[in-house]
Amino acid sequence: MTIKQSEDQALDVLFEAAKNKSPTPSDAFLARLANDADTMVPDVGPGALARQSAPPEKTRVFASLKTLFTASGLSGAAALGVWIGLVMPDIVTTLSPLPGDAVALSAFLPGADLSSLSE
Amino acid sequence: MASQYTQDTPEAALLVAYANGDVSAGRLLINRLAPRLFAYASRVLGNTAEAEDAVQDVMVKLWQTAPDWQQGQAQVSTWAYRVMVNQCTDRLRRRNTRAQVTIDSIAEPIATLASAVETMTQTDRADALQAALGTLPDRQRQAVVLRHLEGLSNPEIAQAMDIGVEAVESLTARGKRALRAALQGRKEELGYDD
Repeated sequence: MTIKQSEDQALDVLFEAAKNKSPTPSDAFLARLANDADTMVPDVGPGALARQSAPPEKTRVFASLKTLFTASGLSGAAALGVWIGLVMPDIVTTLSPLPGDAVALSAFLPGADLSSLSE
Repeated sequence: MASQYTQDTPEAALLVAYANGDVSAGRLLINRLAPRLFAYASRVLGNTAEAEDAVQDVMVKLWQTAPDWQQGQAQVSTWAYRVMVNQCTDRLRRRNTRAQVTIDSIAEPIATLASAVETMTQTDRADALQAALGTLPDRQRQAVVLRHLEGLSNPEIAQAMDIGVEAVESLTARGKRALRAALQGRKEELGYDD
């Protein structure tokens, strides 16, 4: 096939031929690129937000321990008081301001002083 | 998910959607960019495996850039071409350092191709052009491929190659002259006369 054209036009014919025979990526290569995209996509969904707002594991463990120690400390102190009162009542009597005085439970109740005034 | 995008959806919008976790937007970007980048890299590097590596590097950089991408800063395709041009320049530089390729050493396959071809088909013409492109200096080859095969405008090429528009015009003009010279004397085999 003979094409009578100027050199520039002939070059354009070659460019056109090359454009029509453009190198194309293989399906396997495109799949590789898609795999990269899937792997690298930023994780910004609701699950990611929940994971971001949730405290780290270490923080949660420390918080649990703190609660446990607080609760056990209070109940431990109460149990110790009861035990001392039962086993060593003398100590409790000794520690009271007036030995032999009985202390009514109502003294520790709110408004007990007012009710005594009205009597 | 992919149905919410059309062919008119800007590449920047797709990239932002990808940055927000939409994988389908990323795949659409691959479909739009990868074939063009691969064609460019294949023509400039002349090696399929190396072209694939270069394209993969560019796409990985694009995914890394996605969360910080600001719409309006540049066209995604222009950005991708720019990174690709740098990729190819680096690879060609390393290749030239490893083995100094001279015009003489690459002229041989052209002569072999030319003498082997009696009637040039479209495929033969494309191959002849590719062989002639291989004789051009790296920058001229990149500019000619971007302008005449990838269809970028001179300002786009200027951005991609980080040079001025006048430099682009100079590179493409010299590149075309060099191509004509490389193809000179093989006109009959290529299927055209003066």
